[in-house]
Amino acid sequence: MKKIIKTTLAAAALTFIASVSAADYPSKNIRMVVPFSPGGGTDSVGRALANATKDVLDQNIIVMNRTGGAGAVGMSFGAGQRPDGYTLTVVTREIASLPQMGLMQHTADDFKLIRMVNLDPAVVLVSQDSPYQNIADLVAAAKKKDGALKFASTAKPNFYLMALEKSQNIKLNAIPYNGASEAIPAVLGNHTDVTMVTPGEAISQIKSGQLKALGVMSEERIAYLPQTPTLKEQGFDVVTGTWRGIGVPKNTPDEVVETLGAAFDKAMASPDFKQFMENGAMTIHNLDAKAFTEFVKNDVKNLGALIN
Amino acid sequence: MIDHLFNGLLTALSFDILPILIFGVVGGITLGAMPGLTATMGVAILLPFTFGMDSTAALVMLIGVYIGGIYGGSIAAILLNTPGTPASAASVLDGYTLTKNGQAARALSISAISSFSGGFISTVLLIMFAPILANFALRFNAPEYFALALFGLTIICSISGSNLLKGLLAGTIGLLVSTVGLDPITSVPRFTFGIMDLYSGISIIPVLIGLFALSEALTQLESIVSEKKQALRNFSLKMLSRKDLKDIAPTAIKSGVLGTVIGSVPGAGADISSFVCYNEAKRASKNPEEFGKGSIKGLSAAEAGNNGVTGGALVPLLTLGVPGDAVTAVLLGALVIQGLTPGPLLFTHNPEVVYNIFSSMLVANIVMLIVGLIGIRFFCKIIEIPRILMIPIIMFLSIIGAYSINNSMFDIGVAVFFGLLGFVLIKFRVPLSPILIAMILGPMAETNLRKSLLMYENSWSFLYDRPIALFFLVLTAFSIYSAVKFSKRKKKVIV
Repeated sequence: MKKIIKTTLAAAALTFIASVSAADYPSKNIRMVVPFSPGGGTDSVGRALANATKDVLDQNIIVMNRTGGAGAVGMSFGAGQRPDGYTLTVVTREIASLPQMGLMQHTADDFKLIRMVNLDPAVVLVSQDSPYQNIADLVAAAKKKDGALKFASTAKPNFYLMALEKSQNIKLNAIPYNGASEAIPAVLGNHTDVTMVTPGEAISQIKSGQLKALGVMSEERIAYLPQTPTLKEQGFDVVTGTWRGIGVPKNTPDEVVETLGAAFDKAMASPDFKQFMENGAMTIHNLDAKAFTEFVKNDVKNLGALIN
Repeated sequence: MIDHLFNGLLTALSFDILPILIFGVVGGITLGAMPGLTATMGVAILLPFTFGMDSTAALVMLIGVYIGGIYGGSIAAILLNTPGTPASAASVLDGYTLTKNGQAARALSISAISSFSGGFISTVLLIMFAPILANFALRFNAPEYFALALFGLTIICSISGSNLLKGLLAGTIGLLVSTVGLDPITSVPRFTFGIMDLYSGISIIPVLIGLFALSEALTQLESIVSEKKQALRNFSLKMLSRKDLKDIAPTAIKSGVLGTVIGSVPGAGADISSFVCYNEAKRASKNPEEFGKGSIKGLSAAEAGNNGVTGGALVPLLTLGVPGDAVTAVLLGALVIQGLTPGPLLFTHNPEVVYNIFSSMLVANIVMLIVGLIGIRFFCKIIEIPRILMIPIIMFLSIIGAYSINNSMFDIGVAVFFGLLGFVLIKFRVPLSPILIAMILGPMAETNLRKSLLMYENSWSFLYDRPIALFFLVLTAFSIYSAVKFSKRKKKVIV
């Protein structure tokens, strides 16, 4: 009997605490897990967003870099935290790809996705001395050289390249570099023929003319590269890129998710954050929880088709 | 250009910027001296604080932290056998020996002067030759990186001395450890046993902390427990002599130049540079047997080599818009946050920013030299702390340092494991540095060899038809030859 009373009391107390904490949320510092190392693109977006959101929520947001396994370690860590809204995780496109490759135990379903933050297309780039002037030249050369055209890949496997390869039934010699900061010099030094990175990673080399942008892999032309036609315009129906967003563990109460969602909406609309994204040539793409979840589901399917 | 530089210097020395610069350098030295806190982390941690600052102040502070941080790592390496950063692991070889011989002040002054020489030369070369260096750096790709890494690996032979076999054993352990994680080309997991933490490989810093700091602490603990009679460590506050300065000058200058070149190549940082410079100094030396036994030239080469990277690493950042190492990657982020676009356009659109960076680097190096030399007296006090207090402090800092790199409990386990391994290996007189060298350079050699084979479609012709790669391969052959000859000569003497 005593035991039952104790259990009931404990349960009641827990429910009480839970309801209070959901209503009071946020009542203490929030932690944001960034699954990549300090100074990188994901880290700087995470920090800028944390900075813009902390004023809205009136609580400090502390960024914690939990790196490894191309993001798998940090995102798995974030998914496994207490679902109270005090641990946010920056989720990246890897959450859609890594589980399908057997490189991550958690999936997007382990998160309640709150908002998508940015969506950036890949840009096809060659060096200024390259003979290729457009995507058609490149695809023709790839066909002629039969797998010998050298592609400086920022990651392995490279889904930007795979999307083009699959649609055109071509094959390039993908040489894996460690991110854009190694792939770009490999093209600048003419060690490789072509690369694909996001606009933010190459905007200065494109502006200075060292790199030629052959095409943007988006639905429409982007503001940062108004002169560069999309692949679609050039007759190649390939749209790909990368995205980032914010998630919380899947059992987080809905009220908390809503509070956070509203806060991120305000943060993403703030002049500071907009300016930050513009400086980095990144495009804010605010999708709400429902649309973001749907988007990720689709991307999992898209990537699955490339992986398998 | 002179105008811009002069204006830059005026800014760097101005009343509102100089204190920020000094704060950055001192902060960097402090962070660098802590095991596990690297220059990269220092810059990254301070980055958010610069959001509200104006762009000059922000950049100046981060540059101060960068330059101070790389130097600071050496203080702990020299005094406590505990390199604060991987970049100062090569300084342990001769620096700690000098401390054990009671010459801590001499070692620290050589370290400060060589670091200054490396950093200053590097900055001057950056200012004068940035575009040329950038073109040279662009000629580096997989085959050249492979050859450079191979040359660096031969240092394992040369620091093993007469114990070539034991050195190679340690090197093999390091190479083996470095293969853990996802295969760099195919992403297939290797030796991960399904443990998620192993997928990204074993981080170098927990290993460094375990091998050097924890194993040293354990060894000292043992000597206290077994109540071996400990001679109180006496040391003189005598700094380097004029003759020392003359002896190290050529090495310090050469290593500064070599460090600049290595730094300007994207992907090769201060850790690689210090080992390569050390190896080159030993190869060129008339008395290679002194290296590892408290050679001031060896210490100077390592110190000038790691700070020589600072200027070089900015070459790709400023001319190509890509970071040369982890620290400049964070600096790139800082430039972007300030609304600037790094790359060739920065010179034409914002020359004042470029020259502010140049001049604050020059001033930061001078500040580092002054702080370093003045600080020697205080740094040396660390040795006077009774070991019974110092050992727990080192252990405590080590565990914190190991955790803080990735906020990972797993890394604490790694540090403890390598601490115990190091403790055992010391007993068998197996040198520990080769483990670290192999862990830094092994993956670089492996990845780039395989990338080269991909680029050349499985032909090995890249070994001889690329001049820079060929140059390093010839150096590698020389280095192995002299190490083998040296180890044979040594044996004869013993017999």
